[in-house]
Amino acid sequence: MASSYPPPFEGTGEVKEGFLCPLCLKDLQSFYQLQGHYEEEHSGDDRHVRGQLKSLVQKAKKAKDKLLKRDGEDRPDTGSYESFYYGGVDPYMWEPQELGATRSHLDVFKKHRAARIDHYVIEVNKLIIRLEKLTSFDRVNSDSAKIRAIEKSVVSWVNDSDVPFCPDCGNKFNIRNRRHHCRLCGSIMCRRCMEFIPLPLAQKLINGTREALCVPGSPGQSQTLPAGGGSSGMGSRRGSISSLSSVTSMLEEKDDEKIRCCHHCMDTLLKKQQKLDEKDHIPDIVKLYERLRMCMMKVDEKAPDYIRMAESLNAGETTYNLDTAGGLRLEVQKYYELIDALSKKILTLGLKDEPQPHPKALQLQKMIRYSATLFVQEKLLGLMSLPTKEKYEELKQKRKQEQERRLQQERLAAQEALKRRQESEKTSTPANGELPQAQRAPRMTKAGGWLPSAESVHSQSELEDPLLQQIQNIQSFLRQAREAQKADEVAMLEENLRQLEDEYDQQQTCIAIALSEKLAKEESLQQGELQRLEAQELEDRRQWGYTVSSTQPAINWEPSLDISHTGGCQEDEDTTEEVLTPKVETSALAVMAFPTLTSQEDSPPRLRSLGGHITPPGGETKSSSPLNPFEEEELTPTEEDSSNPFFEDIKKERSEVTNGKNDYNPFEEDADSEEGKQADAARGNPFEEDDADASNPFMEPPGNSPDVSTNPFDGEDDEDLPDVDMIEEELLLQQIDNIRAYIFDAKLNGRLDEVELLSENLRELQHTLQEQKKKKH
Amino acid sequence: MNVTLAVKQYISKMIENSGPGMKVLLMDKETTSIVSVVYTQSEILQKEVYLFERIDSQNRDSMKHLKAICFLRPTKENVQHLIQELRRPKYSVYFIYFSNVISKSEIKTLAEADEQEVVAEVQEFYGDFIAVNPHLFSLNLQGVARGRSWEPSMLTRCTQGLTSVLLALKKCPMIRYQLSSDMSKRLAESVKQIITKEYELFDFRKTEVPPLLLILDRSDDAITPLLNQWTYQAMVHELLGLNNNRIDLSRVPGISKDLKEVVLSAENDEFYANNLYLNFGEIGTNIKNLMEDFQKKKPKGQEKLESIADMKAFVDNYPQFKKMSGTVSKHVTVVGELSRLVSERRLMEVSEVEQELACQNDHSNAQQAVRRLLQNPRVSELDAVRLVMLYALRYERHSSSILPSLMDELNRRGVSERNRRMVQAAVEYGGKRIRGSDLITPTDAVAITKQFFKGLKGVENVYTQHQPLLHDTLDQLIKGRLKDSQFPYLGASSLRDRPQDIMVFMIGGATYEEALTVYNLNRNTPGVRIVLGGSTIQNTKSFLEEVMSATGQQRRRREVTGDRSP
Repeated sequence: MASSYPPPFEGTGEVKEGFLCPLCLKDLQSFYQLQGHYEEEHSGDDRHVRGQLKSLVQKAKKAKDKLLKRDGEDRPDTGSYESFYYGGVDPYMWEPQELGATRSHLDVFKKHRAARIDHYVIEVNKLIIRLEKLTSFDRVNSDSAKIRAIEKSVVSWVNDSDVPFCPDCGNKFNIRNRRHHCRLCGSIMCRRCMEFIPLPLAQKLINGTREALCVPGSPGQSQTLPAGGGSSGMGSRRGSISSLSSVTSMLEEKDDEKIRCCHHCMDTLLKKQQKLDEKDHIPDIVKLYERLRMCMMKVDEKAPDYIRMAESLNAGETTYNLDTAGGLRLEVQKYYELIDALSKKILTLGLKDEPQPHPKALQLQKMIRYSATLFVQEKLLGLMSLPTKEKYEELKQKRKQEQERRLQQERLAAQEALKRRQESEKTSTPANGELPQAQRAPRMTKAGGWLPSAESVHSQSELEDPLLQQIQNIQSFLRQAREAQKADEVAMLEENLRQLEDEYDQQQTCIAIALSEKLAKEESLQQGELQRLEAQELEDRRQWGYTVSSTQPAINWEPSLDISHTGGCQEDEDTTEEVLTPKVETSALAVMAFPTLTSQEDSPPRLRSLGGHITPPGGETKSSSPLNPFEEEELTPTEEDSSNPFFEDIKKERSEVTNGKNDYNPFEEDADSEEGKQADAARGNPFEEDDADASNPFMEPPGNSPDVSTNPFDGEDDEDLPDVDMIEEELLLQQIDNIRAYIFDAKLNGRLDEVELLSENLRELQHTLQEQKKKKH
Repeated sequence: MNVTLAVKQYISKMIENSGPGMKVLLMDKETTSIVSVVYTQSEILQKEVYLFERIDSQNRDSMKHLKAICFLRPTKENVQHLIQELRRPKYSVYFIYFSNVISKSEIKTLAEADEQEVVAEVQEFYGDFIAVNPHLFSLNLQGVARGRSWEPSMLTRCTQGLTSVLLALKKCPMIRYQLSSDMSKRLAESVKQIITKEYELFDFRKTEVPPLLLILDRSDDAITPLLNQWTYQAMVHELLGLNNNRIDLSRVPGISKDLKEVVLSAENDEFYANNLYLNFGEIGTNIKNLMEDFQKKKPKGQEKLESIADMKAFVDNYPQFKKMSGTVSKHVTVVGELSRLVSERRLMEVSEVEQELACQNDHSNAQQAVRRLLQNPRVSELDAVRLVMLYALRYERHSSSILPSLMDELNRRGVSERNRRMVQAAVEYGGKRIRGSDLITPTDAVAITKQFFKGLKGVENVYTQHQPLLHDTLDQLIKGRLKDSQFPYLGASSLRDRPQDIMVFMIGGATYEEALTVYNLNRNTPGVRIVLGGSTIQNTKSFLEEVMSATGQQRRRREVTGDRSP
C-alpha cells in the first residue's frame, strides 16, 4: 500500500516499494526482517539523528534540499556501523588481490627459436632429401661399387686422411678399426659409433615429410608412388639375394637394407620420426578423457537447472512439472553413471597389457579417476531427490496452508505491533515527552526548530498512511510558512490543527495528558489532526453530498477550541486506559479504511467539492467561511496525494481570510509530538500495516472503515451535527452489511482474530446506529 | 596485500592460460612448497592438473597427451633441466613460468633448445615466496647469517623473495631499515638495486601514500622466538613444527597411519581458520563443542566428553565417524598431542616463568623461579636451556647475575655441551651489545609510565603477557613516530604521511607470535595493512639453529682475537 501513495514531494525521485526501512531506505525482504532491522539499528538513532540535525536548523532551506541533506547526514550514521566496531580489517577480509605483476619473454624466446628452428628444419630436410636419394635406386640389385658411387654423389665424403681418430669415441683408426662414412653427412666415425637406418624407417620418414609438405588435396599420389615402388621391390627380392649378399657384405660391407649414418644424423631423424608418429596418434586415454570432460560439462550445465526445479517442487510450488524434473534427474544421473564408468575405464587402461604402462601413466589414470570421484561425490550430494507424486500433492497442500498460516501470522504480528505501540505510547510517552521539553528552549526561539522532525517524516512518508502524510504535508507547509515568516499562515494552520483536536479523538489527547499536560496536547493535536482530516473528509463529503449547509457546525466548533483543549481532555483522562486499545488501533487502521471509503463514495463528493471550492474563498466572510473551503481542499489532496503545491495555494488563500488567531507554542508542541509519534509509529506499525494489507487487501480495510466513519460522530454529532447523522444512518446500515459479509468471509477462512475485530466494529456500528435512531425520534 | 591470494592468482592464471585438457605441473623443490601451501590437491585437480612432477626427476615417462605447466625458480640448474626437457620433450606443449626475473641469455639458450617448438609460453610470474597466511610470508631460508653479515647466496635469495613479494602485490615501496643491523642495510640496498634495475617492472600506479618496506633484524629481538606459545598456530609450530602448513605427527605415540602427516591450512580448514589465533584454552573449548556437535548427529554418542582423552577415545570408537570427520579427528589429534606435551613438559609452569622473565623486572623472583624449574626433572632439556637463555638475555648486565651458577645447574642436569654453548651463542646473537632498540628496559618516559600502568593493572593472562618488540616498532611506525635515527630511509626521500601499506621483513625469521601481533594490528588499525615476512618462520628449535649458524663463525674469530671479553 505504501507504494500506492506517491511521495509528497515530486522532487524526491523514485518511488521505492517493498519493506523499506524509513531511516536508511534499505529494502528488507519481509516485514519481520524490517522490524528486526529497525529495532536493532534505529531504536537508538532517533535522538541522535535529531540531535545532529538540530545543528542544521539555522540554515533555512527548502524542504526538498533539506531532505537531501538529511539523507547525506543520516547515511554515514547508519552505514558506518560495519567499520565502526572494528577499526581495521581482518587480513582475510582484505579486498580481492589482483593478479600481480607479470612479464612475458615469449617474443624474445620466439625470435631466438625461429632462428634456431630455421637452421634445424633445413638440417632435417637436407637429411631427408639425401635419404630419399639414397633409397631411390634399387640398392639390392646394384653392386657395391655402384652404390658407393651413388652414395658419394649424394654427399661428399670427408677425406680419410683428415680424420685420424673417431670424433665420437676418440679411438684411433687403423686397419682393425676402420673408418666409416656417414651416408647422410659424409663424416667419419668408427664402427662402434656407427648407426644404421633401416629402409622402412627411411621410407617412412620420406613419405611423412612429403605428406606434410605436399598440398592437402593430393596426399594419396605422393604417398603411394615411392612407397609402392620401394617396398615391393625390396620385399620380392630380399629373400633370394640375402644369402649372396651376406657373403659379400662380410668383405665389402654392402648395405642393401640399411643406410649407414652417424648418430647425430640418426638422432635428428629419430626425432623427426617421433614427431611424425605422434602427429595423428591419439592415445585411448585422451579419447576417454574427452568424453569424460564432456559428461562433466553436461552435468555442470544441467545440475543447476535440476536443483532449481527440485527445490521448487519440494517446496510444493507449481512452477515446474514433476515429470520434467524427473526426466532431467534421470538424465543427470545417467551422466553421473557415465562419468563413473568412463573414469573406471581410464583407471584400468592398459593394466592387462604387457609390459605394464609406466608408473606415471598409471598415476595419471588414478588421479583422473580420483578427480572424477570427487566430482561425482560433490555434485551428486547436492542433487536432492524429488518428491513422489503423492508426496508432491501433499507438499502443495502444505504449502498452501503454510502460506495461509503466514498471512495469519503476519496479521497477528501487525496487531500485536499495534498493541505494542499503544503500550509504548502509554509507557514511553514520558520519554518522548522529555524530548520536546528538553528541546523547548531552542525551539521557542527558533521557528525552524522542528525542521528535522518534518524531514524525518518525509523519509517515512512513502510508507506512512495517507493521513500521516497529510499531516506531514501540512507541517512542511507550516514550516515553509514560518521560514517565509508568514505568521498568518502559520496561525491558520495551527488553528486548524487545534480544531481538529477539539473536534475529534479525545482519547488520544487524554493519553498524552495523563502523562503530562503539555505533552498530552501535543499528542492529541497530532492524533487529532490525523483523524480530523479523515473525519473532515467524510464529513465534507457528506456535507457536500447530502447537506448544503455544513458551514454551521464548523463555526460552532471554533469557540469550543480553547476549552476542550485543556479542560475537555482532562475530563477524559480517567477513561484513557480502557479506550486506549481500540482507539489507537483504529487510528492506525484508518489508513486502510481511507482508500476504501474514498472508492466507495468517491465521485459525487469530489465533483461537488470541486464545484464548491471555487466560490467560498471569494464570497465568504472572514469569520464564518474558513473551515469549509479549506477542508475541502485538504480532502482532495488526501485522495489524490499529489496535493502539495495545490494545498499551499489554498492555504495562502486561507491566510488572507483568517488572520493569526493562535500563538506559536501549541503548534510547535504539536509538531514535536508528531515527531515523537512518527518515531513510535515507525518502530513497527506502519510496515506491519502495509504488510498485512498487502497480503489481504480486502479483509482489513473494510473491517475498520466503519470505525473511522463512526468515530467522528461519536464525539460530536450528538450535539452538533443532527443533519449529518440522518444521512449517516444509511451509510451505517450499508457498512454494517459490509462488515457482516467480511465477518462471514473471515470465519470461513478461519481467521478468528479478524472475526473478533470485525464483530467489535460491528457492535460499535450498531450502537451508533441505535443512538442515532434514538436521537432522531 | 593478500600474499596467499597473490600466489593463488598466479597459479590459477598459469592453469587458465594452458587451456583445457590434461595437465602436468612441473616444479622444482621450492616451487613445490610455494604451490602446495596455497593449493590443495583436490582443488588443483578440479583444474585438470593431474600430475605433479619435479623437473629434476628422472622417472618421468613421455606423455604427449599432457600439457606441461612449468613453474620454476630461475636457477641455473632449473634452466639446465629445462633445456634437457625441451630437447626431448615428454609432453606436448610447455607453458613456462619463472618465479622471478630471468636473464635474457638464459631465455636465448632455452629458445635454442626448443627445436621441436613445444614451448607456448614463457613468462615471469613473481610467486617466489611461501604464503603462509594472507599477511605472512616466508622464504624458508635457514642460516642466513654468517657472523653478523650475510651468507652471500642467502642475500640473493632474500632479495629475490622480497622483490617478488613486491611485484606480486604490485608495490613499489620506500624502504626503511634497522640501522643497528648491517644485514638490514645490505638487504635494503640490494632490494633497491633490483627496483632500480627493473624499473619497468616496478612501474605501478602511484598511490597517494607510497607503500613502505621495513627491514628488521631478528637479533634485535631474540626473546620472542624463545618463548613458549599458546595460540594454536604458534603453539603447533613451537611444539610440533609447522612446515609449509604441514605437521609431522609420526612421532606421536600411537598415531594412526593416515594422520602421520597432517595439513593445517586456513584456506581449506574452517576450524583451523577460526581458531588460528585463539589460545589453547579456547581451542579446547571449541574442539569440545565441535565434537559435541558431531556427537549430537550421532544417535549413539550419549556420554559426555569431559577431557581431551575422552574425545580421543570417542573418536577411536567410531571409525566411520572418523572417516566422516577428517577435520575433527585431525584437530583432536593435534590438540591432544599438544596437551600431552604441555603436561609432560610442564609447559604451563615453564611458560609462566618465561613470561615473567620477558615482561617483569624482578630479578630475585626470576632467578628463584628459574632455579626451581631447573631442578624439576620433568622440565625438558630444551626448556631448561631456553630458560637460562632468557635469563641471560634479560639480566645480561645485572650486577648480581647468577648466570654462572645456572650454567652449573645445567651442567649438573646433564645438558649437552652443545646446548650449553647455545646460551652463550644466544647472548652473542641478541645481546645488549648487538641490539639497536630497547628490547628489555624502556628508557623513554612514555614507555616507563606505560609499563608502570601495566604493572598496576595486573596481567590478564599470565601466559600471553609478552608483546613482541615488533608491536612497538609497528605501532610507532603507524603513528608516524618511528625514529629516523634508528630506522633510516634508504635514499633521500622520506614518507611525510603515516604509512598505509606496510611490508615488514625480518632477517633471521619471523615468528607466529609476531604474525598474530600483525594480524591484530591489521584488525585494529583502520586504513593500515601490514604484511609480515621472514627469511623463515622460527620456533625455538629452528631459532637456536639459526643462532648457532650465525655465531659459529664469530666464535672462530673470537678465538683468534683472544679472550678479552668473557
